Amino acid sequence: MGMMRFYRRAVQFGVLLFVFLVPVLNLFEIYAVTGTLYAVNIGGLGITDPVVVLQAVFASGRLTVLLLGAALFPVLFALIFGRVWCGWMCPYHLLADGAAGIRRFFGERVLRRPFKKALPVESSFKANAVRFSFLLFGTAMAGAISIPVLNYVHAPGIFSTEAMIFVKERSLSPEFLFIAALLLVEVTVLPRFWCRLFCPTGSFLSLFRAPFTMTVTNKVKAAKSPCCTENHCSAACPMGLAPFREGGNLLCTNCAECLHVCPQSRLGFGGFGSK
Amino acid sequence: MPSLKELLQNVFSKGQNPFTGAYVHNRMRPPGAVDEKHFMALCIRCNRCLEVCPYGSIKRAGLGLTMGTPYVLAEQKACYLCMACSRLCPTGALDNELVAPEKAAMGRAVIDSSLCYSHLFLDHDVLPDQTGRQIGALCNTCYNVCPLQDNAIVLRKNLCPEILDACVGCGICVERCPTRPRRAVNIVPTGMGRVDEAGFYFRKAKGHHESAQSPAQSPAGVLKGEQLLKQKSRIEGTKELPKFDFPYETPKKIEGWD
Repeated sequence: MGMMRFYRRAVQFGVLLFVFLVPVLNLFEIYAVTGTLYAVNIGGLGITDPVVVLQAVFASGRLTVLLLGAALFPVLFALIFGRVWCGWMCPYHLLADGAAGIRRFFGERVLRRPFKKALPVESSFKANAVRFSFLLFGTAMAGAISIPVLNYVHAPGIFSTEAMIFVKERSLSPEFLFIAALLLVEVTVLPRFWCRLFCPTGSFLSLFRAPFTMTVTNKVKAAKSPCCTENHCSAACPMGLAPFREGGNLLCTNCAECLHVCPQSRLGFGGFGSK
Repeated sequence: MPSLKELLQNVFSKGQNPFTGAYVHNRMRPPGAVDEKHFMALCIRCNRCLEVCPYGSIKRAGLGLTMGTPYVLAEQKACYLCMACSRLCPTGALDNELVAPEKAAMGRAVIDSSLCYSHLFLDHDVLPDQTGRQIGALCNTCYNVCPLQDNAIVLRKNLCPEILDACVGCGICVERCPTRPRRAVNIVPTGMGRVDEAGFYFRKAKGHHESAQSPAQSPAGVLKGEQLLKQKSRIEGTKELPKFDFPYETPKKIEGWD
């Protein structure tokens, strides 16, 4: 296990703790941090999911400084570090990691069959096409019926809302079934299908990309075929990419799973103007 | 164990069917909310208003298109106008500038004179009904609990509660109103202009309530309305007390008590 995965798990569980800690603090009337993962306010700094802001702008027909300012921080964060929200912070991604782990455990230990990456949409281009179509459709729907419809399928937001309801009222709302259904599909049918093919937040965040954005880079340039016969990096990638040549793909979440599996240590993070 | 027919009737009856936007009485948006159409567009269901509400007044809407949006259900817990929620809204669905409780235009309370104890007693002279229960009384709970007392609600002739335009619709009077199962005072929420959204009391607020205010039939010989008030106003505590003849003399001084 590489150190990167340790750091990633630490950040993921930290965000999970944060999600449960905010309503606990609010129960003790400490309002320094409020909100759910749709929109949080940390000591006066408002952080709102950009796709939520996008829908609110389209649905209400109003473009206000309040709305744009709230989305500024995540956009800047994505421009510098890439789509690390998905790979490093999103609590639903942590659950999906768990679902993939369960699937792998049953495939390899119980069923005695090698775990096959059952992805019908193998090419990253098709996956991108599906999720950007979904984002476009949802935003158009939000504008058409004046309701931010993508919030009904906003997995991290729903998760943190359920955490808040659980802490405050010791109950769960019906939206919990949505998360449960997604995880059931991930375990039984198609691993990582939500993050890879649909999640509107991930799709919109991946659009913010600049030459200085942190990306996975191969030290051996112009690698068209796998540089080694094992092709460990492609097997390790949760998003179904081939990291030796697709580090800059819009699907990449900078989760660093591919870095430590490379036998020659050829993969590393580039960006920050290092090019 | 209910039968299948009863179960279906329960599920699809008004108020329980998740697929229709069934109107719930005395359900308002939190203070400072923009009108309903823009609210549904701007509210991102982040539930921050729900988290900061110190009274637990704000509830999440259940299944349906309004799922996850905040509501104040006044019959369960009214809004106590602390104004903590409106300044925290990240998208402006609640007006961030709003701090004055008297400008929180959540709705307007309407008294149903056919249910209100005070109105029944004074206007309609309702006497004990068939079960012998006195249903007319001088209650005035709504006046006593109102945070904008004497601005939003006054007592007509010091007896009968009447609601004025300064009412912000916080719903405290609804929460405390003693009539069951329906409250005698109800909130017509702001921004829900359509009758099917605002319900029966919207029509009442618009003035179609002549039938409800027609005086009830009272038995002959019983004073009612203005006459009753006139009679009651004759009772005064400042008049001279009637003189009574005492059959014995009170001793001026009792011996041995010094």
